[in-house]
Amino acid sequence: MFKAIVSASTLQDALESVSVLVDECKIRLNEEELAIRAVDPANVGMVDLSLEAAAFESYEADGGVIGVNLARLQDIAGMANSGDLVHLELDEETRKLHIEIDGLSYTLALIDPDSIRQEPDIPELDLPAEIVLEGAQIDRGITAADMVSDHIRLRVDEAAEAFSIEAEGDTDDVDLNLERDDLIDLTAGPADSLFSLDYLKDMNKAIPKDAEVVVELGEEFPVKLHYSFAEGMGNVTFMLAPRIQSE
Amino acid sequence: MRLDEFVELERNERAERRRLAERKDYAILDHVETFQDRFEESLSGDSLVGSVSPSIFVGRADYPNVSTGILSPVGREDQADAFRTSGAWYEEGVSIADVFERRTSLLNSNRTAAATDVHDAWDGWLGTQREVAIADRPVDVEIGLDSTPDLDLDVDRGDLGAPVGPSARAREASLGENPHVPRPVKKTLEDDDWRAQGAMTYLYRRGFDVYDINSILSAGALGQGDNRRLVPTRWSITAVDDTIGQYLRGTIRDAPSVDRVEVHRNEYLGNAFWVVLAPGRWEYELVEMKAPGSVWNPDPEAGTYLAAAHEGREGRTAYVEETAGAYYAARLGALEHLSDRGRQAKVLVLRHVSDEYWGPVGVWQVRETVRDAFEGEHGTAETFGDAVRGVADHLPISLGDLRRKSTMAAGLQTDLSSFLGGSDAST
Repeated sequence: MFKAIVSASTLQDALESVSVLVDECKIRLNEEELAIRAVDPANVGMVDLSLEAAAFESYEADGGVIGVNLARLQDIAGMANSGDLVHLELDEETRKLHIEIDGLSYTLALIDPDSIRQEPDIPELDLPAEIVLEGAQIDRGITAADMVSDHIRLRVDEAAEAFSIEAEGDTDDVDLNLERDDLIDLTAGPADSLFSLDYLKDMNKAIPKDAEVVVELGEEFPVKLHYSFAEGMGNVTFMLAPRIQSE
Repeated sequence: MRLDEFVELERNERAERRRLAERKDYAILDHVETFQDRFEESLSGDSLVGSVSPSIFVGRADYPNVSTGILSPVGREDQADAFRTSGAWYEEGVSIADVFERRTSLLNSNRTAAATDVHDAWDGWLGTQREVAIADRPVDVEIGLDSTPDLDLDVDRGDLGAPVGPSARAREASLGENPHVPRPVKKTLEDDDWRAQGAMTYLYRRGFDVYDINSILSAGALGQGDNRRLVPTRWSITAVDDTIGQYLRGTIRDAPSVDRVEVHRNEYLGNAFWVVLAPGRWEYELVEMKAPGSVWNPDPEAGTYLAAAHEGREGRTAYVEETAGAYYAARLGALEHLSDRGRQAKVLVLRHVSDEYWGPVGVWQVRETVRDAFEGEHGTAETFGDAVRGVADHLPISLGDLRRKSTMAAGLQTDLSSFLGGSDAST
């Protein structure tokens, strides 16, 4: 059983954070929250999302799992104006999702959840550095880095208490240096890792510019990016495996 | 073999090859002058040329109205098979001058045709051309010419096609025999519900090399009926390398990884290839270093010209702007090796083009040199980083410049499962 009403913008934000990595996913309709966990086919980038029942206008669920084509669902959600409410109801008999937006109704065929890639195990990492900054700052660093390279270095200078986003291209360099005062918070620690810009650009697309983003970083370790949406009742964690030199 | 020992061995072999190499590169200029004489001797009074054709050529200018040609070694029919571009040229060890000599000895008798008109064209010019393309040996043809040959050489600046020789406008062509066509080729020709990519892969799996498939695709002899087109030779070469590469990449998708870092090397026609294989999921990059004085360096004053293109496990979505067809040709060589071994790997190919590469011979040279790089000895290294450092000493650019240009030299993509052990990153 699943029946819910949610604002279009909350639904759109949630779907965007997953669709930047995968085309289809399982959605867990737990009693207390809606949850999605997915990893891209190369097992490099992962998303872990939860949207609390309180983020919905109304929410009733009993722990079922559905499989959806994200692009299709995003297209439908895109039919809503901001402020519209989206009504969702699962028909257990036909295994279809009924969606209603301001008089428009759409019946979405679901995908057998067993045919979707398994949900990933989340590496448990205790990363030594934590940087808290605005989504807009990350966006600025990534946009500039993309002008010169296809990979990006995230680094914490412990002595200077600063976080930098760096890129080295064929001939040109980019360095966005953010000192403690420029950041919302910083826990300095040994942290220096290289990442594929393709993945970070996609993740960056989903991160709201005004969100407070917590970046956890180590030395040649995956980076974790956390942020909230839907007034703090939605939570997203991205995890991205590094490019490394030592192996 | 340790990497440094391997490098030493390779260096000695190279010196020996250089010593033995005949410096006859500029003999080509004499050859072009003698061509006209030989052609005139072979020309019948009524401009009807009887010859043997080993292959075809489809131009790309003004696509979809393309120049579509039948190639024939006028006056040297007895050696026709040697004029067909193939892996045999590498085995034979042809020189740059040999390639020019062979290509410029082929008369390109051509007409203009709409690339889309090929599906139902069984007779006439396109029909004859298709028979030449799908036959597995040179075919007797008779060609009626409209003009005398134009001897301008067309040298491809795109590094793809071999140089093209003299051309003449033609009126008509007919077969002098019933050509021999292998059964699988007949099958792909006759089945017009079969998508081109599937048909290409089928032929490859039945033992046809990319050279044969390229010719068949180019003549519009495979694919779904309405989609059949004459495909310009240069596009078709890349299309086949890419399609077969994608098929091979699929065969190793879930294969175990190579278990140590290997360095392979090969050199031919002034092109040296270092191929580094490292454990991990498929990832591939071609980095090209073109010396001042080699044919492809666009700005010799600026020094070595660098180009690179890269793909991860899902392949590329954008065309390879910088490295063009060489990217797919080198990838094919590496994938054939990995698919044979039933392994996947991270593959970095470093191509050093020296100033000995004075004339562009075509991308077959890249394909065959990489294919053969896996034969014989190879070096090993403890880590990918060690391999790159070891190889960088023998490259025309610094390690720092290589890291700037090369995505893989900067760092290899890991995947999340390798961090599942749960670890304390601060230790």
